[in-house]
Amino acid sequence: MATITTADFRKGMFIEFKNEPHQILDFQHVNPGKGSAFVRTKLKSLKSGRVQEFTFKSGESVVEVSVETREMQYLYREGDVFIFMDNRTYEQYHVQSGLIGDFVKYLRANDTHQLLIHNDSVVGIRLPKKVRLTVTEADAGAKGNTATGATKVVTLETGARVTVPLFIREGDIIAIDPETNSYLERSA
Amino acid sequence: MKTWQRLKKQPELWKRYFLREQVIRDIREFFHTRGFHEVETPLLLKNPPAESYVDVFRTTLYDRHRNPTDAYLATSPETSLKKLLAAGIGNCFALTKSFRNMETQSRLHNPEFTILEWYRTGVAYEKIMSDCEDLLKALSGVSGQKLRYQGNIIDVSPPWDRMTITEAFSRFAGINSHDLYDVKRLAGAARKKGYRTDGATWEQIYNQIFLNEIEPKLGLRKPVILYEYPAAVAALARIRKDNPLVAERFEFYIGGLEMGDAYTELIDWREQESRFKREMKEIERLGKTVYDYDQDFIQALKSGLPDCSGIAVGVDRIVMLLADVNDIAETLFFPGKDLFGAE
Repeated sequence: MATITTADFRKGMFIEFKNEPHQILDFQHVNPGKGSAFVRTKLKSLKSGRVQEFTFKSGESVVEVSVETREMQYLYREGDVFIFMDNRTYEQYHVQSGLIGDFVKYLRANDTHQLLIHNDSVVGIRLPKKVRLTVTEADAGAKGNTATGATKVVTLETGARVTVPLFIREGDIIAIDPETNSYLERSA
Repeated sequence: MKTWQRLKKQPELWKRYFLREQVIRDIREFFHTRGFHEVETPLLLKNPPAESYVDVFRTTLYDRHRNPTDAYLATSPETSLKKLLAAGIGNCFALTKSFRNMETQSRLHNPEFTILEWYRTGVAYEKIMSDCEDLLKALSGVSGQKLRYQGNIIDVSPPWDRMTITEAFSRFAGINSHDLYDVKRLAGAARKKGYRTDGATWEQIYNQIFLNEIEPKLGLRKPVILYEYPAAVAALARIRKDNPLVAERFEFYIGGLEMGDAYTELIDWREQESRFKREMKEIERLGKTVYDYDQDFIQALKSGLPDCSGIAVGVDRIVMLLADVNDIAETLFFPGKDLFGAE
Protein backbone atom coordinates (compact mmCIF):
# COMPACT_ATOMS: atom_id res chain seq x y z
CA MET A 1 0.00 0.00 0.00
CA ALA A 2 1.39 3.31 -1.01
CA THR A 3 -0.16 6.71 -1.38
CA ILE A 4 0.12 8.09 -4.89
CA THR A 5 -1.49 10.94 -6.80
CA THR A 6 -3.40 11.03 -10.06
CA ALA A 7 -0.11 12.04 -11.74
CA ASP A 8 1.13 8.48 -11.12
CA PHE A 9 -1.85 6.82 -12.79
CA ARG A 10 -0.98 4.13 -15.33
CA LYS A 11 -3.26 1.80 -17.22
CA GLY A 12 -3.54 -1.55 -15.46
CA MET A 13 -2.62 -0.14 -12.06
CA PHE A 14 -4.63 -1.08 -8.95
CA ILE A 15 -6.02 1.52 -6.56
CA GLU A 16 -8.38 1.62 -3.64
CA PHE A 17 -11.69 3.22 -4.54
CA LYS A 18 -14.61 3.39 -2.09
CA ASN A 19 -12.66 1.00 0.14
CA GLU A 20 -12.34 -1.67 -2.50
CA PRO A 21 -9.51 -2.54 -4.89
CA HIS A 22 -10.09 -1.42 -8.45
CA GLN A 23 -8.03 -1.65 -11.60
CA ILE A 24 -7.53 1.44 -13.77
CA LEU A 25 -8.61 0.30 -17.23
CA ASP A 26 -8.26 3.71 -18.81
CA PHE A 27 -7.78 7.32 -17.84
CA GLN A 28 -8.15 10.68 -19.55
CA HIS A 29 -7.31 14.21 -18.52
CA VAL A 30 -10.31 16.51 -18.62
CA ASN A 31 -10.58 20.26 -18.24
CA PRO A 32 -14.08 21.60 -17.80
CA GLY A 33 -14.62 24.99 -19.48
CA LYS A 34 -12.72 27.56 -17.42
CA GLY A 35 -12.12 25.05 -14.66
CA SER A 36 -9.23 23.27 -12.98
CA ALA A 37 -7.86 19.95 -14.19
CA PHE A 38 -9.40 16.54 -13.52
CA VAL A 39 -8.63 12.93 -14.39
CA ARG A 40 -11.47 10.76 -15.66
CA THR A 41 -10.89 7.05 -15.05
CA LYS A 42 -12.54 3.81 -16.00
CA LEU A 43 -12.30 1.57 -12.94
CA LYS A 44 -12.97 -2.14 -12.66
CA SER A 45 -13.88 -3.51 -9.27
CA LEU A 46 -11.76 -6.53 -8.46
CA LYS A 47 -14.55 -7.92 -6.31
CA SER A 48 -17.54 -7.60 -8.60
CA GLY A 49 -15.90 -7.03 -11.97
CA ARG A 50 -18.19 -4.04 -12.38
CA VAL A 51 -16.76 -1.21 -14.49
CA GLN A 52 -17.57 2.40 -13.63
CA GLU A 53 -16.28 5.85 -14.46
CA PHE A 54 -15.00 8.22 -11.84
CA THR A 55 -13.41 11.63 -12.19
CA PHE A 56 -10.70 12.58 -9.71
CA LYS A 57 -9.39 16.04 -9.00
CA SER A 58 -5.99 16.36 -10.64
CA GLY A 59 -3.41 15.81 -7.92
CA GLU A 60 -5.84 14.06 -5.57
CA SER A 61 -4.12 11.33 -3.57
CA VAL A 62 -5.24 7.72 -3.73
CA VAL A 63 -3.94 4.49 -2.26
CA GLU A 64 -2.23 2.11 -4.62
CA VAL A 65 -3.12 -1.49 -3.90
CA SER A 66 -0.42 -4.10 -4.10
CA VAL A 67 -1.53 -6.87 -6.37
CA GLU A 68 0.89 -9.66 -7.18
CA THR A 69 0.78 -12.03 -10.09
CA ARG A 70 1.21 -15.78 -9.72
CA GLU A 71 1.55 -18.40 -12.39
CA MET A 72 -1.32 -20.84 -12.20
CA GLN A 73 -2.47 -23.74 -14.26
CA TYR A 74 -6.09 -23.91 -15.29
CA LEU A 75 -7.47 -27.32 -14.32
CA TYR A 76 -11.20 -27.59 -14.89
CA ARG A 77 -14.53 -25.88 -14.59
CA GLU A 78 -17.38 -26.49 -12.15
CA GLY A 79 -20.38 -24.52 -13.35
CA ASP A 80 -19.51 -20.89 -12.90
CA VAL A 81 -16.32 -21.60 -10.99
CA PHE A 82 -12.92 -22.18 -12.57
CA ILE A 83 -10.32 -24.19 -10.70
CA PHE A 84 -6.70 -23.07 -10.95
CA MET A 85 -3.56 -24.47 -9.30
CA ASP A 86 -0.62 -22.38 -8.12
CA ASN A 87 2.38 -23.76 -10.01
CA ARG A 88 4.68 -23.17 -7.05
CA THR A 89 2.63 -24.26 -4.03
CA TYR A 90 0.16 -26.60 -5.83
CA GLU A 91 -2.56 -24.86 -3.86
CA GLN A 92 -5.91 -24.77 -5.64
CA TYR A 93 -7.98 -21.63 -6.13
CA HIS A 94 -11.68 -21.38 -7.00
CA VAL A 95 -12.24 -18.44 -9.29
CA GLN A 96 -15.65 -16.98 -10.17
CA SER A 97 -16.15 -16.57 -13.91
CA GLY A 98 -16.85 -12.84 -13.45
CA LEU A 99 -13.24 -12.29 -12.42
CA ILE A 100 -12.01 -13.81 -15.66
CA GLY A 101 -14.54 -12.06 -17.80
CA ASP A 102 -14.62 -12.57 -21.52
CA PHE A 103 -11.36 -14.53 -21.36
CA VAL A 104 -13.17 -17.70 -20.17
CA LYS A 105 -13.79 -18.60 -23.77
CA TYR A 106 -10.04 -19.01 -24.33
CA LEU A 107 -9.36 -21.16 -21.25
CA ARG A 108 -7.89 -24.56 -22.13
CA ALA A 109 -7.13 -27.15 -19.48
CA ASN A 110 -3.47 -27.30 -18.36
CA ASP A 111 -2.56 -23.89 -19.81
CA THR A 112 -0.66 -21.62 -17.44
CA HIS A 113 -1.83 -18.05 -16.90
CA GLN A 114 -0.85 -15.08 -14.75
CA LEU A 115 -3.46 -14.63 -12.04
CA LEU A 116 -3.76 -11.50 -9.93
CA ILE A 117 -3.68 -11.99 -6.16
CA HIS A 118 -4.80 -9.56 -3.48
CA ASN A 119 -5.05 -10.57 0.19
CA ASP A 120 -4.40 -14.16 -0.85
CA SER A 121 -7.41 -14.42 -3.08
CA VAL A 122 -7.58 -14.34 -6.84
CA VAL A 123 -8.97 -11.02 -8.05
CA GLY A 124 -8.44 -11.32 -11.77
CA ILE A 125 -6.37 -12.56 -14.63
CA ARG A 126 -3.65 -10.74 -16.55
CA LEU A 127 -4.55 -11.12 -20.19
CA PRO A 128 -1.68 -12.49 -22.29
CA LYS A 129 -0.73 -10.52 -25.43
CA LYS A 130 -1.85 -13.51 -27.49
CA VAL A 131 -3.39 -16.94 -27.06
CA ARG A 132 -2.61 -19.79 -29.45
CA LEU A 133 -5.44 -22.24 -30.08
CA THR A 134 -6.33 -24.86 -32.66
CA VAL A 135 -9.13 -24.30 -35.15
CA THR A 136 -11.60 -27.16 -34.78
CA GLU A 137 -14.28 -26.03 -37.21
CA ALA A 138 -13.77 -24.01 -40.35
CA ASP A 139 -15.92 -23.95 -43.43
CA ALA A 140 -13.40 -24.74 -46.17
CA GLY A 141 -15.59 -23.51 -49.00
CA ALA A 142 -16.68 -20.27 -47.32
CA LYS A 143 -16.66 -17.38 -49.72
CA GLY A 144 -16.52 -14.98 -46.84
CA ASN A 145 -17.66 -11.43 -46.81
CA THR A 146 -15.41 -9.86 -49.41
CA ALA A 147 -16.82 -6.39 -48.83
CA THR A 148 -15.14 -6.26 -45.44
CA GLY A 149 -11.86 -7.71 -46.58
CA ALA A 150 -12.53 -11.43 -47.05
CA THR A 151 -13.02 -12.95 -43.62
CA LYS A 152 -14.96 -15.83 -42.12
CA VAL A 153 -15.83 -17.07 -38.65
CA VAL A 154 -14.22 -20.24 -37.27
CA THR A 155 -14.55 -22.18 -34.02
CA LEU A 156 -11.55 -22.84 -31.77
CA GLU A 157 -10.91 -25.85 -29.54
CA THR A 158 -12.25 -23.98 -26.51
CA GLY A 159 -15.50 -23.21 -28.33
CA ALA A 160 -14.65 -19.57 -28.94
CA ARG A 161 -15.69 -18.19 -32.32
CA VAL A 162 -13.41 -15.68 -34.00
CA THR A 163 -13.19 -13.86 -37.29
CA VAL A 164 -10.18 -14.87 -39.40
CA PRO A 165 -8.87 -14.52 -42.96
CA LEU A 166 -10.25 -16.95 -45.56
CA PHE A 167 -7.07 -19.06 -45.81
CA ILE A 168 -7.39 -20.42 -42.24
CA ARG A 169 -8.30 -24.12 -42.19
CA GLU A 170 -9.36 -26.72 -39.69
CA GLY A 171 -6.34 -27.91 -37.69
CA ASP A 172 -4.45 -24.63 -38.02
CA ILE A 173 -3.07 -23.11 -34.86
CA ILE A 174 -3.81 -19.42 -34.77
CA ALA A 175 -2.96 -16.55 -32.43
CA ILE A 176 -5.69 -14.25 -31.09
CA ASP A 177 -5.41 -11.01 -29.15
CA PRO A 178 -7.74 -11.72 -26.21
CA GLU A 179 -8.19 -8.02 -25.48
CA THR A 180 -9.81 -7.28 -28.84
CA ASN A 181 -10.70 -10.85 -29.89
CA SER A 182 -8.94 -10.16 -33.15
CA TYR A 183 -6.92 -12.57 -35.27
CA LEU A 184 -3.17 -11.94 -35.19
CA GLU A 185 -1.38 -14.69 -37.12
CA ARG A 186 -1.23 -18.35 -38.11
CA SER A 187 1.41 -20.32 -36.23
CA ALA A 188 3.76 -22.48 -38.26
CA MET B 1 0.68 4.07 -37.87
CA LYS B 2 0.43 7.76 -38.82
CA THR B 3 -2.87 9.10 -40.07
CA TRP B 4 -1.58 9.63 -43.63
CA GLN B 5 -0.47 6.01 -43.75
CA ARG B 6 -3.87 4.83 -42.57
CA LEU B 7 -5.55 6.96 -45.24
CA LYS B 8 -3.34 5.39 -47.88
CA LYS B 9 -4.26 1.93 -46.66
CA GLN B 10 -7.96 2.58 -46.02
CA PRO B 11 -9.18 5.14 -48.58
CA GLU B 12 -12.72 4.85 -47.21
CA LEU B 13 -11.49 6.99 -44.26
CA TRP B 14 -11.07 10.10 -46.43
CA LYS B 15 -14.79 10.77 -46.24
CA ARG B 16 -14.66 11.21 -42.48
CA TYR B 17 -11.72 13.59 -42.63
CA PHE B 18 -13.29 15.68 -45.40
CA LEU B 19 -16.22 16.47 -43.06
CA ARG B 20 -14.01 19.18 -41.56
CA GLU B 21 -13.70 20.91 -44.92
CA GLN B 22 -17.48 21.06 -45.19
CA VAL B 23 -17.94 22.25 -41.59
CA ILE B 24 -15.47 25.11 -42.11
CA ARG B 25 -17.21 26.13 -45.33
CA ASP B 26 -20.67 25.99 -43.70
CA ILE B 27 -19.60 28.05 -40.71
CA ARG B 28 -18.16 30.80 -42.91
CA GLU B 29 -21.29 30.83 -45.07
CA PHE B 30 -23.51 30.96 -41.97
CA PHE B 31 -21.88 34.10 -40.62
CA HIS B 32 -21.27 35.84 -43.92
CA THR B 33 -24.96 35.57 -44.85
CA ARG B 34 -25.81 37.11 -41.47
CA GLY B 35 -23.59 40.11 -42.09
CA PHE B 36 -20.76 39.27 -39.68
CA HIS B 37 -17.24 40.45 -40.44
CA GLU B 38 -14.67 37.68 -40.45
CA VAL B 39 -11.44 38.87 -38.89
CA GLU B 40 -7.95 37.46 -38.56
CA THR B 41 -6.54 37.65 -35.06
CA PRO B 42 -2.87 37.18 -34.11
CA LEU B 43 -1.61 33.72 -33.17
CA LEU B 44 1.55 35.19 -31.67
CA LEU B 45 0.81 37.47 -28.72
CA LYS B 46 2.76 39.49 -26.22
CA ASN B 47 0.03 39.16 -23.60
CA PRO B 48 -2.31 36.17 -23.76
CA PRO B 49 -5.68 36.37 -21.96
CA ALA B 50 -5.08 35.89 -18.23
CA GLU B 51 -6.59 32.50 -17.47
CA SER B 52 -5.28 30.40 -14.62
CA TYR B 53 -6.88 27.22 -15.98
CA VAL B 54 -5.01 27.35 -19.26
CA ASP B 55 -1.33 26.62 -19.84
CA VAL B 56 0.32 28.73 -22.52
CA PHE B 57 3.07 27.98 -25.01
CA ARG B 58 5.93 30.42 -24.56
CA THR B 59 8.38 31.31 -27.29
CA THR B 60 10.82 34.13 -27.97
CA LEU B 61 10.62 36.89 -30.52
CA TYR B 62 13.96 38.46 -31.53
CA ASP B 63 14.55 41.75 -33.25
CA ARG B 64 17.36 42.21 -35.80
CA HIS B 65 19.82 42.82 -32.98
CA ARG B 66 18.78 39.58 -31.31
CA ASN B 67 17.12 41.39 -28.44
CA PRO B 68 14.63 38.90 -27.04
CA THR B 69 10.97 39.47 -26.13
CA ASP B 70 8.74 36.82 -24.57
CA ALA B 71 5.94 35.86 -26.90
CA TYR B 72 3.03 33.46 -26.45
CA LEU B 73 0.81 31.44 -28.75
CA ALA B 74 -2.80 32.56 -28.56
CA THR B 75 -4.99 30.45 -26.26
CA SER B 76 -8.08 32.05 -27.83
CA PRO B 77 -8.86 35.03 -30.10
CA GLU B 78 -11.05 36.62 -27.41
CA THR B 79 -9.06 39.69 -26.36
CA SER B 80 -8.18 40.60 -29.95
CA LEU B 81 -11.82 40.37 -31.02
CA LYS B 82 -12.97 42.50 -28.10
CA LYS B 83 -10.46 45.21 -29.00
CA LEU B 84 -12.10 45.35 -32.43
CA LEU B 85 -15.53 45.44 -30.80
CA ALA B 86 -14.38 48.39 -28.69
CA ALA B 87 -13.14 50.02 -31.89
CA GLY B 88 -16.62 49.64 -33.36
CA ILE B 89 -16.48 46.71 -35.79
CA GLY B 90 -19.93 45.40 -34.82
CA ASN B 91 -20.91 41.76 -35.26
CA CYS B 92 -17.80 39.71 -36.04
CA PHE B 93 -16.28 36.26 -35.92
CA ALA B 94 -12.92 34.50 -36.08
CA LEU B 95 -12.30 30.93 -37.19
CA THR B 96 -8.74 30.27 -36.19
CA LYS B 97 -6.17 28.09 -34.45
CA SER B 98 -5.53 28.33 -30.73
CA PHE B 99 -2.90 26.60 -28.63
CA ARG B 100 -3.07 25.16 -25.16
CA ASN B 101 -0.25 23.39 -23.40
CA MET B 102 -0.30 20.39 -21.06
CA GLU B 103 -3.52 18.93 -22.40
CA THR B 104 -2.21 15.59 -23.68
CA GLN B 105 -3.69 12.19 -22.83
CA SER B 106 -7.13 13.48 -23.58
CA ARG B 107 -9.48 12.41 -26.31
CA LEU B 108 -11.05 15.87 -26.27
CA HIS B 109 -7.93 18.02 -26.63
CA ASN B 110 -5.16 18.60 -29.13
CA PRO B 111 -2.27 21.01 -28.45
CA GLU B 112 -3.47 23.15 -31.36
CA PHE B 113 -7.15 23.25 -32.15
CA THR B 114 -9.64 25.13 -34.27
CA ILE B 115 -11.78 27.61 -32.41
CA LEU B 116 -14.76 29.62 -33.60
CA GLU B 117 -15.66 32.78 -31.73
CA TRP B 118 -18.45 35.13 -32.65
CA TYR B 119 -19.76 38.28 -31.04
CA ARG B 120 -22.96 40.26 -31.40
CA THR B 121 -23.31 43.79 -30.17
CA GLY B 122 -26.36 45.16 -28.40
CA VAL B 123 -27.72 41.77 -27.32
CA ALA B 124 -27.60 39.50 -24.26
CA TYR B 125 -26.56 35.86 -24.37
CA GLU B 126 -30.02 34.48 -25.21
CA LYS B 127 -29.44 35.59 -28.80
CA ILE B 128 -26.20 33.55 -28.90
CA MET B 129 -28.19 30.53 -27.71
CA SER B 130 -30.44 30.72 -30.74
CA ASP B 131 -27.39 31.28 -32.98
CA CYS B 132 -26.03 27.94 -31.72
CA GLU B 133 -29.30 26.19 -32.56
CA ASP B 134 -29.35 27.74 -36.03
CA LEU B 135 -25.68 27.02 -36.72
CA LEU B 136 -25.96 23.32 -35.94
CA LYS B 137 -29.02 23.13 -38.13
CA ALA B 138 -27.13 24.78 -40.98
CA LEU B 139 -24.26 22.29 -40.97
CA SER B 140 -24.49 20.06 -44.01
CA GLY B 141 -23.49 16.99 -42.05
CA VAL B 142 -26.72 17.26 -40.11
CA SER B 143 -29.23 15.39 -42.20
CA GLY B 144 -32.86 15.26 -41.15
CA GLN B 145 -31.97 17.01 -37.85
CA LYS B 146 -31.04 13.66 -36.28
CA LEU B 147 -27.49 12.68 -35.50
CA ARG B 148 -26.11 9.34 -34.48
CA TYR B 149 -23.34 9.87 -31.97
CA GLN B 150 -21.67 7.05 -30.06
CA GLY B 151 -24.80 4.95 -29.92
CA ASN B 152 -27.22 7.78 -29.17
CA ILE B 153 -29.67 9.30 -31.62
CA ILE B 154 -29.62 13.04 -31.01
CA ASP B 155 -32.33 15.32 -32.30
CA VAL B 156 -30.53 18.61 -32.92
CA SER B 157 -33.53 20.53 -34.23
CA PRO B 158 -34.42 23.70 -32.30
CA PRO B 159 -35.44 24.45 -29.66
CA TRP B 160 -32.83 22.72 -27.52
CA ASP B 161 -33.31 21.88 -23.87
CA ARG B 162 -32.42 24.70 -21.52
CA MET B 163 -31.49 24.18 -17.90
CA THR B 164 -29.86 26.41 -15.30
CA ILE B 165 -26.84 25.09 -13.39
CA THR B 166 -28.96 25.23 -10.24
CA GLU B 167 -31.59 22.99 -11.85
CA ALA B 168 -28.93 20.60 -13.18
CA PHE B 169 -27.36 20.13 -9.74
CA SER B 170 -30.74 19.59 -8.18
CA ARG B 171 -32.00 17.20 -10.85
CA PHE B 172 -28.88 15.07 -11.47
CA ALA B 173 -26.92 15.36 -8.23
CA GLY B 174 -29.63 16.03 -5.66
CA ILE B 175 -27.90 19.20 -4.48
CA ASN B 176 -30.14 22.19 -3.77
CA SER B 177 -29.16 25.79 -4.42
CA HIS B 178 -28.82 26.39 -0.70
CA ASP B 179 -25.88 23.93 -0.60
CA LEU B 180 -24.49 24.67 -4.05
CA TYR B 181 -23.50 28.27 -3.44
CA ASP B 182 -21.93 27.76 -0.02
CA VAL B 183 -18.46 26.23 0.13
CA LYS B 184 -18.94 24.54 3.51
CA ARG B 185 -22.36 23.15 2.74
CA LEU B 186 -21.24 21.97 -0.72
CA ALA B 187 -18.20 20.23 0.79
CA GLY B 188 -20.49 18.54 3.32
CA ALA B 189 -22.83 17.33 0.58
CA ALA B 190 -19.87 16.10 -1.45
CA ARG B 191 -18.39 14.17 1.49
CA LYS B 192 -21.74 12.46 2.01
CA LYS B 193 -21.49 11.29 -1.59
CA GLY B 194 -18.02 9.88 -0.93
CA TYR B 195 -15.85 12.62 -2.47
CA ARG B 196 -12.66 13.72 -0.78
CA THR B 197 -12.82 17.41 -0.03
CA ASP B 198 -9.69 18.01 2.05
CA GLY B 199 -7.92 21.07 0.67
CA ALA B 200 -10.36 21.30 -2.24
CA THR B 201 -11.65 24.66 -3.42
CA TRP B 202 -15.33 25.35 -4.08
CA GLU B 203 -14.57 25.27 -7.81
CA GLN B 204 -12.95 21.83 -7.59
CA ILE B 205 -15.82 20.32 -5.62
CA TYR B 206 -18.38 21.94 -7.91
CA ASN B 207 -16.63 20.68 -11.05
CA GLN B 208 -15.95 17.21 -9.65
CA ILE B 209 -19.64 16.70 -8.95
CA PHE B 210 -20.47 18.23 -12.31
CA LEU B 211 -18.07 15.93 -14.20
CA ASN B 212 -19.10 12.79 -12.33
CA GLU B 213 -22.82 13.18 -12.05
CA ILE B 214 -24.06 15.74 -14.53
CA GLU B 215 -21.91 16.06 -17.66
CA PRO B 216 -22.15 12.42 -18.80
CA LYS B 217 -25.95 12.76 -18.93
CA LEU B 218 -26.07 15.95 -20.95
CA GLY B 219 -27.35 16.13 -24.47
CA LEU B 220 -27.75 12.43 -25.19
CA ARG B 221 -31.15 12.86 -26.87
CA LYS B 222 -31.25 16.60 -27.47
CA PRO B 223 -28.58 19.27 -27.13
CA VAL B 224 -28.69 21.02 -23.77
CA ILE B 225 -27.95 24.63 -22.99
CA LEU B 226 -26.77 25.01 -19.41
CA TYR B 227 -27.01 28.60 -18.26
CA GLU B 228 -26.71 30.90 -15.26
CA TYR B 229 -23.34 29.76 -13.97
CA PRO B 230 -22.34 30.45 -10.38
CA ALA B 231 -20.61 33.82 -10.10
CA ALA B 232 -17.47 32.07 -8.83
CA VAL B 233 -17.01 30.57 -12.31
CA ALA B 234 -18.19 33.64 -14.18
CA ALA B 235 -14.95 33.83 -16.22
CA LEU B 236 -15.55 36.89 -18.43
CA ALA B 237 -19.33 36.92 -18.07
CA ARG B 238 -21.51 39.66 -16.64
CA ILE B 239 -23.04 39.01 -13.22
CA ARG B 240 -26.84 39.13 -13.20
CA LYS B 241 -28.06 42.37 -11.69
CA ASP B 242 -31.12 40.75 -10.10
CA ASN B 243 -29.17 37.78 -8.71
CA PRO B 244 -25.54 38.36 -7.79
CA LEU B 245 -25.03 34.62 -7.22
CA VAL B 246 -25.07 33.85 -10.93
CA ALA B 247 -23.43 35.05 -14.12
CA GLU B 248 -24.83 35.28 -17.65
CA ARG B 249 -22.72 32.44 -18.93
CA PHE B 250 -23.91 29.37 -20.82
CA GLU B 251 -22.38 26.24 -22.25
CA PHE B 252 -23.98 23.82 -24.66
CA TYR B 253 -23.55 20.08 -24.63
CA ILE B 254 -24.28 17.56 -27.33
CA GLY B 255 -23.81 13.85 -26.76
CA GLY B 256 -21.96 14.51 -23.50
CA LEU B 257 -19.48 16.79 -25.28
CA GLU B 258 -18.93 20.35 -24.14
CA MET B 259 -19.15 22.29 -27.40
CA GLY B 260 -19.11 25.96 -26.52
CA ASP B 261 -18.88 28.54 -23.75
CA ALA B 262 -20.74 31.86 -24.00
CA TYR B 263 -21.21 35.06 -22.05
CA THR B 264 -23.01 38.28 -21.93
CA GLU B 265 -19.65 39.98 -21.91
CA LEU B 266 -18.23 41.82 -18.98
CA ILE B 267 -17.71 45.40 -20.13
CA ASP B 268 -16.69 46.98 -16.82
CA TRP B 269 -12.94 47.58 -17.12
CA ARG B 270 -12.38 47.81 -13.36
CA GLU B 271 -14.03 44.47 -12.73
CA GLN B 272 -12.11 43.00 -15.69
CA GLU B 273 -8.78 44.26 -14.39
CA SER B 274 -9.41 42.92 -10.90
CA ARG B 275 -10.37 39.51 -12.36
CA PHE B 276 -7.15 39.54 -14.43
CA LYS B 277 -5.08 40.34 -11.34
CA ARG B 278 -6.78 37.53 -9.46
CA GLU B 279 -6.00 35.14 -12.33
CA MET B 280 -2.34 36.21 -12.43
CA LYS B 281 -2.01 35.52 -8.70
CA GLU B 282 -3.56 32.11 -9.20
CA ILE B 283 -1.20 31.38 -12.13
CA GLU B 284 1.76 32.17 -9.86
CA ARG B 285 0.35 30.10 -7.01
CA LEU B 286 -0.09 27.12 -9.35
CA GLY B 287 3.50 27.47 -10.58
CA LYS B 288 2.40 27.90 -14.20
CA THR B 289 4.10 29.96 -16.90
CA VAL B 290 3.76 33.57 -15.77
CA TYR B 291 3.15 36.47 -18.18
CA ASP B 292 1.88 40.02 -18.00
CA TYR B 293 -1.81 40.58 -18.45
CA ASP B 294 -2.90 42.65 -21.42
CA GLN B 295 -2.95 46.35 -20.44
CA ASP B 296 -3.93 47.22 -23.99
CA PHE B 297 -7.08 45.14 -23.57
CA ILE B 298 -7.97 47.02 -20.38
CA GLN B 299 -7.38 50.26 -22.32
CA ALA B 300 -9.82 49.05 -24.97
CA LEU B 301 -12.47 48.35 -22.32
CA LYS B 302 -11.82 51.76 -20.78
CA SER B 303 -12.43 53.37 -24.15
CA GLY B 304 -15.85 51.70 -24.12
CA LEU B 305 -16.75 48.15 -25.09
CA PRO B 306 -20.35 48.14 -26.38
CA ASP B 307 -22.86 45.81 -24.75
CA CYS B 308 -22.22 42.51 -26.45
CA SER B 309 -22.40 38.75 -26.15
CA GLY B 310 -20.15 36.11 -27.59
CA ILE B 311 -19.13 32.50 -27.60
CA ALA B 312 -16.17 30.20 -28.20
CA VAL B 313 -16.95 26.89 -29.90
CA GLY B 314 -14.61 23.93 -30.39
CA VAL B 315 -14.79 23.27 -34.11
CA ASP B 316 -12.92 19.97 -33.78
CA ARG B 317 -15.66 18.77 -31.44
CA ILE B 318 -18.32 19.67 -34.00
CA VAL B 319 -16.39 17.50 -36.47
CA MET B 320 -16.16 14.73 -33.85
CA LEU B 321 -19.91 14.86 -33.45
CA LEU B 322 -20.66 14.73 -37.18
CA ALA B 323 -18.05 12.02 -37.77
CA ASP B 324 -19.33 9.98 -34.80
CA VAL B 325 -15.84 9.50 -33.35
CA ASN B 326 -14.90 9.75 -29.69
CA ASP B 327 -11.33 10.95 -30.13
CA ILE B 328 -10.41 14.35 -31.53
CA ALA B 329 -7.36 12.73 -33.16
CA GLU B 330 -9.73 10.87 -35.48
CA THR B 331 -10.75 14.17 -37.06
CA LEU B 332 -7.25 15.57 -37.69
CA PHE B 333 -4.88 14.69 -40.54
CA PHE B 334 -1.97 15.50 -38.24
CA PRO B 335 -3.04 14.95 -34.63
CA GLY B 336 -0.60 15.88 -31.87
CA LYS B 337 0.00 12.25 -31.07
CA ASP B 338 1.18 11.58 -34.63
CA LEU B 339 3.56 14.52 -34.43
CA PHE B 340 4.86 14.18 -30.90
CA GLY B 341 4.28 10.49 -30.21
CA ALA B 342 1.43 8.90 -28.32
CA GLU B 343 1.52 9.37 -24.60
